[in-house]
Amino acid sequence: MDQLLLSLLTNGGLLSFLALSAWLLLRAGAVSFGQQGFFAVGAYAGGMGTVMAGLALAPALALAALAGAVAGGVLALLTRRLRGVGFAVASLAAAEALRVGLELFRWRVPGPDGRPVGPDGVGGFGGIRYLYATGYTAADMALLVVGVLALVLVALAALSRTRWGLALRMAGEDPVLATALGVAPRRARFAATVASGAVAALGGALFAHYATYVEPDNFAIMQGLHGLFYALIGGVATPLGPLVGVAFDLGLMEGGRLFQGYRMIAFGVAVSVLLTVRPCGLLDERMVRRLRAAGRRARPTLFPRPRSTGPAAGNTESVP
Amino acid sequence: MIALLPTGLALGSAYALLALGYTLAFGVLRRVDLAYGATILAGLYAALWLRREAGIGSASVAPAMLAVTAVAGVLVDRLCFAHRAGRPATTAMATGFALWMVLQEGATLLLPGHSQPVPPLFGVADGLMMDDWLPAGMRSAHLVALAAAAIAAAALWGLLHRTRPGLAMRALIDNPAAAVCAGLPVTRLSLLAVVISGLMGGLAGGLIAGIDGQVGPMFAMTATLKGLAAAILGGLGSLPGALAGGLILGLAETVFHSQLGPQGRALSASLLLLGVLALRPAGLASLWGGGGAAEV
Repeated sequence: MDQLLLSLLTNGGLLSFLALSAWLLLRAGAVSFGQQGFFAVGAYAGGMGTVMAGLALAPALALAALAGAVAGGVLALLTRRLRGVGFAVASLAAAEALRVGLELFRWRVPGPDGRPVGPDGVGGFGGIRYLYATGYTAADMALLVVGVLALVLVALAALSRTRWGLALRMAGEDPVLATALGVAPRRARFAATVASGAVAALGGALFAHYATYVEPDNFAIMQGLHGLFYALIGGVATPLGPLVGVAFDLGLMEGGRLFQGYRMIAFGVAVSVLLTVRPCGLLDERMVRRLRAAGRRARPTLFPRPRSTGPAAGNTESVP
Repeated sequence: MIALLPTGLALGSAYALLALGYTLAFGVLRRVDLAYGATILAGLYAALWLRREAGIGSASVAPAMLAVTAVAGVLVDRLCFAHRAGRPATTAMATGFALWMVLQEGATLLLPGHSQPVPPLFGVADGLMMDDWLPAGMRSAHLVALAAAAIAAAALWGLLHRTRPGLAMRALIDNPAAAVCAGLPVTRLSLLAVVISGLMGGLAGGLIAGIDGQVGPMFAMTATLKGLAAAILGGLGSLPGALAGGLILGLAETVFHSQLGPQGRALSASLLLLGVLALRPAGLASLWGGGGAAEV
């Protein structure tokens, strides 16, 4: 398969984890500028798992997700009394503090061939070669990333239909009404923060094993911002929203060779315009409903419904 | 540790200006501008470019810096926050960040490279050879920062407490609903606040860059973060709080730097900000019942 396509799939997939983690918080009504922090936690935890603790991939990914969840919990605890703006700023501060902290974090142990391995502060964390040492090719890598992403998407879609998922959405859409109906927005945000930490960390661990070398600068604010923007552009209604956002940006990057030195400007302008024109994103609830209805109409049925309008006649398109 | 006091205070006074600009904009407009640091970067880079490429003299470059920062601030305000109806504050913040990306890349295109050298006050004080008689660790840039910050803060105080527009702005900060009912020209006052905030930011940026001796594109984010940290520490919306917050941040940074090196300096702003938000989001102003207008 085309190398460029494989690398696009892998990079897009990794960015999607970041975007999905931001999406989870958006659904709970919170904006986070700090998802790159969880991404970093996962990258370092997952890397340390395979490189220093000799774990296989799956346990290392689990460890990374757990570390991300714990980090999410810590952030949630620190911010439990804050409202939207305060939470956003706190997440920014926490991620930056973590990133600079990683510049000071050094834990070197002797590796299999005697040379030291492990995080080395500003020098980064290299030698995360577990996957390539077991014979992974670029295609295998892409498959792994897309596979794990698909699992996460299925899980998120399923969760969205449970009572918990609905409560989350309610809390995000209208906190006052949600409280009146017995849903606690603060608890919803807490849970969303923990979950988003796990998702981002999972992506981070995969990123570390893909790149084999990570350093604190990889987890700067720009990374998290991109994830947030993908989720904002794509829309909150469905987990596919962030993927639309990722595709939009990758399309801009690859399709826009003419944007050579102006990529940030182009992306920034596009995001500003989109957020002004469609503040709820491309795939907002109304659009999703319309697409689903169109899908139903397009699908041939064995027993076509009688052509009349109104709920009494069995027309379900007015039901959200 | 005492020896660090003068340099810490000098840095702190520059941060105080930064925080003053931030908190003024927040108090009048009720929004957090995440593109603030980026507008300051734009002003700084414009000034450096004028000095280097267009050969304009040092003394004229400083007003240009202030002007560009103010204009950029007005543009950001018009683009992000003017059409706020129906949009949550956090989306407006995100749009601010998008504009930050635009401004930062624009600056990098104007003056490519990781960092640019910046002489204190753009070389105006070069010939004075002040460093010889200053206490250890202090440079002319520190003295310039202390002096300029004091003058600017005094000017701001004069504007706010001795003029009618200033009175109107304070009224607006205190109680927006009452201000509207009293017929105050809110749009014009908001514009004035954005312009003043831009001027303060531009000056602060110039002073900080002078102390650091260099400036790079990342300055946009660090300036925003530090301005936020100082302003929130003092209590968003409180002007005396911003002063206090800025000085405390400057001292903390200097101490952290001496203990942990440059990472310590970068860490202090984030940790301070996180700590304040976790423990006392209303900031110092809430301790003395000051004019904090925060809703964090």
